[in-house]
Amino acid sequence: KMALRELSSLEKALGLKKPNKYSTQGDNKQVPVLQSNSGPALSGLVTIATHLVKQANRADLLGESAEHRAVVQQWLEYRVTKVDGCQKEEIKPILKDLNSYLEDKVYLAGNQFTLADTLMYYGVHHIIMDQSVQDKETYVNVTRWFDHVQHYPGVRHHLHPVVILKNRLYTSSHH
Amino acid sequence: MKLFVSEGNPHCLKVLAVLELTGVKCAIQHVIHDEKVVSYLNRPSLPALLLPSGMPLFSANAICRYLGESVGLQCSDLSNQWLEWEATELQPALAQGLHLAVLQGKGPEACRVLQGPLTYLEQSLSKTRTSFLTDDIVSVADVVLWAALYPILSDISLLSGEQTKVQNWFERVGLLAACKSAAQSVLQGKGLNAEVLKTYLQKQPAPPQRRDIQPCN
Repeated sequence: KMALRELSSLEKALGLKKPNKYSTQGDNKQVPVLQSNSGPALSGLVTIATHLVKQANRADLLGESAEHRAVVQQWLEYRVTKVDGCQKEEIKPILKDLNSYLEDKVYLAGNQFTLADTLMYYGVHHIIMDQSVQDKETYVNVTRWFDHVQHYPGVRHHLHPVVILKNRLYTSSHH
Repeated sequence: MKLFVSEGNPHCLKVLAVLELTGVKCAIQHVIHDEKVVSYLNRPSLPALLLPSGMPLFSANAICRYLGESVGLQCSDLSNQWLEWEATELQPALAQGLHLAVLQGKGPEACRVLQGPLTYLEQSLSKTRTSFLTDDIVSVADVVLWAALYPILSDISLLSGEQTKVQNWFERVGLLAACKSAAQSVLQGKGLNAEVLKTYLQKQPAPPQRRDIQPCN
């Protein structure tokens, strides 16, 4: 159901006027399925999100060059394979990976906002919500990226804003 | 561009087969399993492709997509769906299945773990009218799934005998020269019995029992 809420937020962010019809499949009913009148149903969060982006003529959100598109795909896959269903002890390694990767980047695919940012933001939101101020300082690059994305126009929708204490973060990182 | 691969790793089989299939020019470097090529990841991760910009890619499927796209093989919605299914549904079952079959000698249990994904693949293949997963010509998705399943499906005894469509599709993809030579180079043309596969699996963390896991939120 999480996935369905994400897809509905994504539809709104993309400005798609007519909402699509969805169902779910799989053991825990976790896999979203997009119903279609014109062709076979499509399943999988990334597959459907990619389809919606194309439907909205926003292929730029999938990356603008072949290299860029590969990087976007890699992080979309990371989201559904590593972040989804992760156990408590897997959270730290995930945040560490993201934190060192984001050290010299504004967004997951570099300087340009893409679908990878939207879906990763939805995927890690519950983790960041539970973080202490110290965690936010430890993973300062993740925190900075998260704050950028939650303020990106049209992205947040169904999720609560997470308050980031900028002053503290910035002073601590200057020590 | 430079591709880093290690022996016995089915994900490296994916990228080497797609590299040969596409004919993209790329230097190949063979490294050991725990070589840390992608500096920002905690755990060593292979294969890895250094893009012309210097940025490393760590996902085998993303590398395969990129190589395909370089020669005009774009992924359709259906290809995307297969690649996502491979990563999210098939891989967790394979990790468990290979661990059981190769490291613990529990072939029948490995079969049980893989039953679900193989049945899904069989049913999907029964519904399609094309020779391959998405079309009458081979796609990146076909090669990725073939390589992932290579260790298991090259051992006939692990198939229930009901999955004839899967077996036929697997053989069809395996006939490609690119697949044959990649299988030779990564797994010495052997499946489950390849010593290099065992060495690779020993280096992997024990797979979690994904089915019983509740998501952390």
